[in-house]
Amino acid sequence: MNTNSIITFTLVFLPLLGAFVTYFCGKKNIKVLSSLAQIFTALVFFVSAAGLVLFINDPGQVEGVSVIGEICGRGIAFSLNGFRVVYAFIAAFMWMMTTLMSEQYFGHHHNQARYYFFILLTECATLGVFLGNDLYTIFIFFEIMSFTSYVWVAQEETKGALRAAETYLAVAVIGGLSMLMGIFMIYHELGTLDVDALRESAMAANTSPAVLFVASILMAIGFGAKAGAFPLHIWLPKAHPVAPAPASALLSGILTKSGIFGVIVVTCNIMSGDKTWGILILVIGLITMFMGAVLALFSVNIKRVLACSSMSQIGFILTGIGAYNAMHAEHFLASSGSMLHMINHSLIKLVLFMAAGVIFFNTQALDINDVRGFGRKKPVFALIFLTGALSIAGIPGFSGYVSKTLLHESILEVEMGSFTRIAEAVFLISGGITLCYMTKLFVAIFVEKNADEVLQAKYDDLKNYMNPKTAFALTGSALLLFVWGIFPHRLMEKVAGFGADFYRLSGESEAIPYFAWNNLKGGLISVSIGIILYFAIVRCLLMKNGRYLDRWPKWWDLENAVYRPLLLTILPTIAAVFSRVFDSLVDGIVLGLRNTLYKDSPLPGKKKEMSMRSLRVKEDVDIIRRSISYGFFLFAVGVIITVVYIFVFHFGG
Amino acid sequence: MNILIILPFLVGLLTGIVLLVLSFKDHKDKFDFVGNAEDAASRKKLHEYVAIILFLMASISMAVAFSGQSEIRLFTLVDGISIFFRVDKIGAMFAVVTTVVWLAVLLYSFKYMQHEENEKRFYAFYILAYGVLMCLDFSGNLITFYMFYELMSLSTMPLVFHSGTRESIMAAYKYLFYSLAGAYCSLFGIYVLHASMSGSLAFNPGGAVVFGSRFYGGGLQLLGVFLMLIGFGAKAGMFPLHAWLTAAHPVAPSPASAALSAIIVKCGVLGIIRVLFFVVDYKAIAGTWVQYTFMTLTLITVFMGSLLAFREKVFKKRLAYSTVSQVSYILFGLSTFDPAAFTGSLLHVVAHAFIKCGLFLTAGIFLFRTKETMADGYVGIGKRMPVTLWSYTICSLGLIGIPPTAGFISKWYLATGALDAGIGAFRYVGPAVLLVSALLTAGYLLPITMKGFFPGEGFEVKEKDKFDIMTAMLLLMAVLAFVLGLFPNPLTDFAGSIVSEIM
Repeated sequence: MNTNSIITFTLVFLPLLGAFVTYFCGKKNIKVLSSLAQIFTALVFFVSAAGLVLFINDPGQVEGVSVIGEICGRGIAFSLNGFRVVYAFIAAFMWMMTTLMSEQYFGHHHNQARYYFFILLTECATLGVFLGNDLYTIFIFFEIMSFTSYVWVAQEETKGALRAAETYLAVAVIGGLSMLMGIFMIYHELGTLDVDALRESAMAANTSPAVLFVASILMAIGFGAKAGAFPLHIWLPKAHPVAPAPASALLSGILTKSGIFGVIVVTCNIMSGDKTWGILILVIGLITMFMGAVLALFSVNIKRVLACSSMSQIGFILTGIGAYNAMHAEHFLASSGSMLHMINHSLIKLVLFMAAGVIFFNTQALDINDVRGFGRKKPVFALIFLTGALSIAGIPGFSGYVSKTLLHESILEVEMGSFTRIAEAVFLISGGITLCYMTKLFVAIFVEKNADEVLQAKYDDLKNYMNPKTAFALTGSALLLFVWGIFPHRLMEKVAGFGADFYRLSGESEAIPYFAWNNLKGGLISVSIGIILYFAIVRCLLMKNGRYLDRWPKWWDLENAVYRPLLLTILPTIAAVFSRVFDSLVDGIVLGLRNTLYKDSPLPGKKKEMSMRSLRVKEDVDIIRRSISYGFFLFAVGVIITVVYIFVFHFGG
Repeated sequence: MNILIILPFLVGLLTGIVLLVLSFKDHKDKFDFVGNAEDAASRKKLHEYVAIILFLMASISMAVAFSGQSEIRLFTLVDGISIFFRVDKIGAMFAVVTTVVWLAVLLYSFKYMQHEENEKRFYAFYILAYGVLMCLDFSGNLITFYMFYELMSLSTMPLVFHSGTRESIMAAYKYLFYSLAGAYCSLFGIYVLHASMSGSLAFNPGGAVVFGSRFYGGGLQLLGVFLMLIGFGAKAGMFPLHAWLTAAHPVAPSPASAALSAIIVKCGVLGIIRVLFFVVDYKAIAGTWVQYTFMTLTLITVFMGSLLAFREKVFKKRLAYSTVSQVSYILFGLSTFDPAAFTGSLLHVVAHAFIKCGLFLTAGIFLFRTKETMADGYVGIGKRMPVTLWSYTICSLGLIGIPPTAGFISKWYLATGALDAGIGAFRYVGPAVLLVSALLTAGYLLPITMKGFFPGEGFEVKEKDKFDIMTAMLLLMAVLAFVLGLFPNPLTDFAGSIVSEIM
């Protein structure tokens, strides 16, 4: 056992062990249950932190591949490199923090044992995805992750939650199968599934680019569905709001990233250098980014705003990944931009969703009109929220600004004339909308007063709105986010450098002058767009008599308008017509024969005096008589064929 | 020593006759097993005897299966055609799977059958069928195989009409007609092959029949082989002769459906394997219209079965359509003539046997406890019987092919094998159909888990069911499906060694 295998196996299998221990020891006692879950997630976090520290000291010490043979036939393999170490750390951190805050969030809610069990199982699966060294391992853990996280969405068992969970599972299963088909094709074409070997095999002369392209699209459907990319984002705005807040933080912060992780694997290895692919991902990214932002702007439910915002930010990340392939040079801009934005978004959504959770368990409401004024006279809470909000809006001085600047630069490197200009415009406008909806949330929660004065007084008097564990989870996460953002060169660029070999880049990146006028200009344009939009749209269009309105038309919903009718009614009905014809083909022929060539004698007249029993016996006798004659009929056909055969081939031939 | 091969059959025949004679005596005065203490005791005694005999037969068969090559020639019919048994790897594999399922289902039915009358008749045919199946698995040539194949149809038919309702009798006749129609098709093929073969239609890995210029350049032989595929395909639920399956399964008692679906349909698969790879040289078929038609039929069946299962509301009928679809996965693998896909087929034989047995046992438990037949009616059932629904869920995931379950491994081999096979556009169409069908499988199996565990707000658990022998057997199937998925290599290697003898 070397360091690599100790770290990877502990990271993946400790949560698995923890899931069972926690469930069976804590089933009866909620206190024991949550404590055990906290202990296990904390242990996993320390292991991941140890891994990160060791990696920073000497990468060679922890890098490498660890294989467990036999499992699932081909064996599963885990590896560590810069990207994976960083993301394992982020994941373990998020799990620890959300578990810490779950205790207060759930209080004495029922079904908690189930919740913690699946939280820990999913941690195992998610770490398995991030550490997986080949597509086989990644796929196995990805599927496990999809199924175990289903329980998070369905946890509350409300009607909306169950429907959202159904959608989530359907998208996950469709995505998973599509990905599997892609993996089959890759394996057939390249003969390997090892992530590190894919690029070399794909470069080889004897591969078919068309097959690889189709396979990559199939895989991207699977990964993109999990990431929430358009047009498979439908589950995201529905599932995040109904899940418990700690689970939403994880869904949004880390599960979507596992999808992104897969898209990076495909883009940087199989499709490496393919411009068309780059443009495709870039366009999908732009659409996702813009649509998510607009949806978020229109939403009035805090968690829905955050969920749509996640979708939008995923679009930003995808844009970077697309640009990576579409650009001619300066690839490290796109790689650092997308990787840093992944990390930023994970941390930001951790903070914001946990903050939404705090609001929810204090008010039992999520509509901004109901929770309006909740944050007044709560300076610590306001600061925590503000850190997340400013960072996601890309205000200079916060981490989001750095990654967005890098992404902006990388879009400009895609030298395609007017396309580049349109992409840049969409990018800046989406950034503006981000600021706009975050302002809307902040103003509503922290500045304005609630319309109901009694409620407002109650909100103002709330002192113990967070217990120490929750407070620690929130301030800790916000502090990390803040510190991370103020050292763009010393911290962020260094971490971005860790990811280089995962993006298949070598060499050193040059330092970017983030606060030069050239770069600040992009940020400022976004900010001005945001301010204009806030006053023009939010204050004028989306508010009436001091209430926030949801003006998004109800029928304008891709899932209910297109996917559900198409997949549940139209296609199955069409296919069912054909299937029924096939299904009853032989029965139909037999029926036809019985009505024409081989006609039944009419049923003997029913006599009324017959008892039920004798009638039944008679019927049975009838059935048997006919069936025997049917048997004879078949037998006769067989005999005729046999005789003909004997005559023709034995005597004739 | 070699007489041991047919000993289970003789024991089964004898036990069957004794039990049947006894059951005629019972028939005169129906009695209530549950209420009456004396009857309960005699019922327990019956179970003990039945269990001991079946375990005895099973241990003999397993001894035979694991002892390796042994053979016995009973007597000669005509022209060097004899009743001949030989134990080979693939026969042993089918025998082991059959035995595991048969024993588990027997233990399950001890509890389940208290709802039904005429228990002795059920056990009589159940044990008889086991003996027949062992002979079928160990048959050494096509004639012997055919003989026991017909016997199997006859001896399992009473299991279908066990309840004696009009519906079940009609279904049993349908089962018989389709089986006979299929068997006659096969018989024609046997004539043709025998005429074109100097030997005795014995099973040899790789096959022996060479298609000569006689019979219109082999055209008639091809037709013969095709008819045999259709004929044995009838038992395996392949389109066009699949309709018996969806009629027979829902009306049979659940243990019988489990046995039918897990084992009996696989005998059709075994028939096809024997024909394609042990009698005929598959290379003579490769690339002909027979291969492509066969492949098309299997793919139609895969899709049709899944889709109709998706649209079906009666739970057991849904599972029956699912069997139609899943068994054709196996046949599709065979039709590609690719070693990896062949391995996948053999793995899916095992995986599907355990998984589908588990699913039908679940259906039985649901029916036994709730009297509800519709798939929508099991809301909140997971709160009442968590172990049952968990086992069902694992089996379902296995059938869909979600790792780490046995179904995933077999699908992996099937699809990668199909991609490697030289079958033109079917290379991509085949795996795509399999995956679409997997999606439909998820669509018809998972809602029961979802509604069962997440009934929605305000659902009250009325009672919790105790863990009993029925749940235990279901759990066994789920564990098998899971463990075979987690550590499939011994099985994969074994299946691979069977394939490597042929290809």
